[in-house]
Amino acid sequence: MANVSSPIRGGSVGEADLSAVAGVAWPAPAERSESPFAQGLRRLRRSTTAVIGAVIVVLLVVTALFADVLAPLSPTANDQTQTFARPSWAHPLGTDQLGRDMLSRVIYGTRISLLVGVSSVLLALFVGVPFGMIAGYCGGRVDMAIMRVMDLILAFPIYLLAIILMVIFTPTAGLIGTMKVTGAIAIVRIPIYARLVRGSVLSIKEKEFVEACRALGVRNPSILFRHILPNCLAPIIVTTTLGIATSIIVEATLSFLGLGTQPPTPSWGWDLKANVAFIQANAWLALFPGLAIFVTVLGFNLFGDGLRDALDPRLK
Amino acid sequence: MRVYILKRLVEIVPTILAITFVVFVMMRSIPGDPVVAMLGDAYTEEDAARVRVEYGLDKPLVVQYGVWLGKLVRGDWGVSILSGRPVLQDVLVRVPVTLELIVLSMGVALAIAVPAAIVGALRQNTWADYTATTVAMVGVSIPEFFIGVLLLLAFSVGLGGMLPSSGWVYVPGTCPTMVCAAGLLGNAQHVLMPALALGVGRAAILTRLLRASMLEVIRTEYVTTARAKGLSERPVVLKHALKNALIPTVTVMGLQVGFLIGGAIVVETLFAMPGLGTFGIDAIIARDYQQVQGFALITAIAFVGINLLVDLTYTFLDPRIRYA
Repeated sequence: MANVSSPIRGGSVGEADLSAVAGVAWPAPAERSESPFAQGLRRLRRSTTAVIGAVIVVLLVVTALFADVLAPLSPTANDQTQTFARPSWAHPLGTDQLGRDMLSRVIYGTRISLLVGVSSVLLALFVGVPFGMIAGYCGGRVDMAIMRVMDLILAFPIYLLAIILMVIFTPTAGLIGTMKVTGAIAIVRIPIYARLVRGSVLSIKEKEFVEACRALGVRNPSILFRHILPNCLAPIIVTTTLGIATSIIVEATLSFLGLGTQPPTPSWGWDLKANVAFIQANAWLALFPGLAIFVTVLGFNLFGDGLRDALDPRLK
Repeated sequence: MRVYILKRLVEIVPTILAITFVVFVMMRSIPGDPVVAMLGDAYTEEDAARVRVEYGLDKPLVVQYGVWLGKLVRGDWGVSILSGRPVLQDVLVRVPVTLELIVLSMGVALAIAVPAAIVGALRQNTWADYTATTVAMVGVSIPEFFIGVLLLLAFSVGLGGMLPSSGWVYVPGTCPTMVCAAGLLGNAQHVLMPALALGVGRAAILTRLLRASMLEVIRTEYVTTARAKGLSERPVVLKHALKNALIPTVTVMGLQVGFLIGGAIVVETLFAMPGLGTFGIDAIIARDYQQVQGFALITAIAFVGINLLVDLTYTFLDPRIRYA
């Protein structure tokens, strides 16, 4: 079947469509000097904002991976003799009310933030995309049933649902606590991907190459995942990158409301909330976790914006 | 038009029923028993059983929901298990606070976004445009509570504590009970920081969107025609371009309502405001079933209501859009 479907994939998609999904699984036609993937990469590299965003994201990932090496002290080690220390050489960002080193807490906080941000989006993606594809491809009652459930989730103000879910899951510390937050955010964000993919599938399934596949007797799952999915990838990739930024904000917000990963696990939102109470005397404490959240979200937003411009100029 | 509004109002009902029912079921699946929390240490099994019967908590879920609905249509929002006060009364005290916060923050958002987007679009790729887009990018990336913290640092900690960091003073005449503090100056002092904190992030999103659609509209032929027939720049931009560019922006403003309600929870918590947001989060955490239902109901009404308002705004912005 592969030798039959390949020329169909290459031949049936117009020039405009190819450029729109540059950087995706399209094999380059022989006469093209540069592959769509390379084109997308070149456009991405030319964009200053995308490069800045990528650098921030890479730095954050490195910080999260090597937190043990980078952090000068343990993020949870109390030191009652050193509470509310002002920034100094020993504690570059000072210490909090328990004498914990803020720099170490901010560095370790990267882990929770990135972990929840990335994994909640991936989870939402892996549930939402198949549902969206099935809804769009099958249509009729299946479509109705799936999309009504998605609409119901979307009908909720995002934070209301996430908050109630977190109360049901009961927030805890450590990895389990992090997984609960991930789950709550993922559930809230599933419909976004389902809707996005359904929309793309609805338009792509009417194209001639899908009809050709059907005429050739390609089975539905194969049409869906090998022929239609690659064509929807560009908007999915962009939405995913920007979605990570949103998820990080939602995580920080839940933590800020006391419903995220619980202490002693270091979390920026929680640290920010805990230190707002001391803002009158120790202004710097609330500043650093907030700045960390801001820089992280900015990084993903810049990268996502650049990615969108490079992958799909029509979305600009 | 009137038929359309009526039809939409009827369509609102199932949405509100769905939201309140899901919240109802979810709240009751939360581990822990509010009756035990209410009775405290002097808790005996007989007391608990009696209270459960008193509040109808011994009945099946669907029956409980039916009872809640039945009371609701008669204007009874139930009584809080924990405080014993009628829920409607508590909600009404808090509505003016959150309403003022949301309306003003939308005002802040528009006041920043419209001029910034117009400048950005008309002077595309100049320093003014770059400034506008950069500031918007930064604004999109700051969570509301961090803007709030920065404002607190500037106006409550710095500047000699110019603005109060917490509490609330009502606009005179909006407080439904007799016992709240009211005064215009006090209200302005209390609402300024929260409204800015909530509005700036929305402003950033709206700026990006409005700039993009302005850029699209400004290149259309009817704008060229308007210029060609000798109209000065001001009516071309404000009457012809802006009105059309606003349509997608208004849609997004409607979608932003969900975030605004969440943002209100966060900002009200940060500034310790007695609004619906703090009411809701306190009720959810305390598992006060009746209060949570009240919160879910008022949120759902606001959510659907504002989306209806958004659809009606289209007809004003673009008279070609008509609802039969």
